[in-house]
Amino acid sequence: MSIITISRGSSSMGKAVAEQVAQKLNYQLISREVLLDASNRFNVPEIKLEKAIHDAPRILEKYRHSKQSYIAYFRSSLVERVIGGNVVYHGLAGHLLLKGIPHVLKVRINADMERRVAIVMKRDKIPAPDARARILEDDKQRRKWTQSLYDQDPWDTSLYDLTICIDKLSVENAVDYICLAAGTEEFKSSEKNVRKAKDMSVACRVKASLVEEFPNISVTCDYGNVLIYMKGRDHMIGKLSKKLNNIRENISGIHHLETHAGVEPPPDAV
Amino acid sequence: MSIFIISSDAREIEENIAEKVAEAMGYTFLNRGTLAAVAAKYQIDAGKLSEAIETTPSLFKKLPARQWRYYLACVEADVLENLMADNIVCQGLAAHLYVTGVSHAMKVRVLSGNRRGIQAIVEKRGISLQKAEKWLATELLQRKKWSLAAYNYDETDLTRYDLVINLDQIDPAEAVKTITGAAEYRKFQVMTYSMKCLSDLALAAKVNSALLQSMEDIRVQARDGSVVVLTTISNSFSSIRATASFGF
Repeated sequence: MSIITISRGSSSMGKAVAEQVAQKLNYQLISREVLLDASNRFNVPEIKLEKAIHDAPRILEKYRHSKQSYIAYFRSSLVERVIGGNVVYHGLAGHLLLKGIPHVLKVRINADMERRVAIVMKRDKIPAPDARARILEDDKQRRKWTQSLYDQDPWDTSLYDLTICIDKLSVENAVDYICLAAGTEEFKSSEKNVRKAKDMSVACRVKASLVEEFPNISVTCDYGNVLIYMKGRDHMIGKLSKKLNNIRENISGIHHLETHAGVEPPPDAV
Repeated sequence: MSIFIISSDAREIEENIAEKVAEAMGYTFLNRGTLAAVAAKYQIDAGKLSEAIETTPSLFKKLPARQWRYYLACVEADVLENLMADNIVCQGLAAHLYVTGVSHAMKVRVLSGNRRGIQAIVEKRGISLQKAEKWLATELLQRKKWSLAAYNYDETDLTRYDLVINLDQIDPAEAVKTITGAAEYRKFQVMTYSMKCLSDLALAAKVNSALLQSMEDIRVQARDGSVVVLTTISNSFSSIRATASFGF
């Protein structure tokens, strides 16, 4: 009952690896479905969600907080999708958005730049310099996005459990490695791990329901006990308190709900 | 498969994993134990040689840049010669930085992960958790500085490795299994071309170490047994690049 996320730079054969892993392990393969889920659940145009999780925030967006809202919606949908296990996710930022769920095997696929250029040239029928520029621009956006929202570099492989370079190693070799790792004890869904994933799902749903009005909140959930951390002013706290009943009624899995104002949220808060 | 080159951000983990891979495969284990033989072969001080692969040159430490480069060249030449013997696990000799373009050499980086790596340091060195964290951070910075100065490669740039395993959640025994699993992969089998690439590297390193005894600022390349030495000759008016080619 593992959860596998496969991250990659564009045209790095990550999709092919993900498809083969899902086939070999008989797992569900998901990617764009999460966008559609989030778009339907939160009534946000798919294109806006896609832009939010792909492009780095521009200056004004940092103040409007719309990107935070879209990411919270996307994260909530992603966690819901993977919570049952036996799933391979090969969309954007899985390794960051699923951080906190212990049995997620985080894989990064790197490919040699020349190979990437060749793939883009063939796919988009463009010359090598254009293909290279396109790849570099895409990598730059990824880097900026991760740095601006998570203060981390997506190429920092310490974020992943396994990083495989598709150059000397083939797609089939990468698939073997991933399947082998997924079968180890650490990535199996124990009772404790499933409980943590469920708690995270509750925290994500609470955050998604509040983030539009309260962009600076952070949420944790432990055994169904939800803590909402808020930096805001007094009137904002009063406003939040009024919303709590609504949240209790609409989100299942909450045993207890508290707000903490002026307290630094723990690092694992969503 | 014939060569596994293993490196890590924590020495303790690196030694442990490399030793286990060698044991599991029944391969020769090449590590810093070979430095004494290198020192004897090139008639240099063994202590200085160990220092050279740990630190960057410094007049304060009485290790001038020229001597440092020569020592590193001696280690490189010896390691490459050893790697020609096949079926080897190499660790602690910076081979991941100078064994390039050899398809049957698999470069693996093992990340200690916060949890396991720091715990291993605490146990081995008998220091507190905070001290171990600080020690690891300093060590990483030092290794990065060293690799850039010695081979102009940042060893913390993980795109340079074929496989990177993070031990935060993966058990070291599983990591060993994963690494040894690659031995059967077709792309890591010894081929005539990959062996030729390795022997060219070994030849260039041998010439480099011989020339560095009396010269500096040289770059040596070998192709199909022909060696090209590039150097810069400066005078007060201009720089002339002189190329000498030797057939072996």
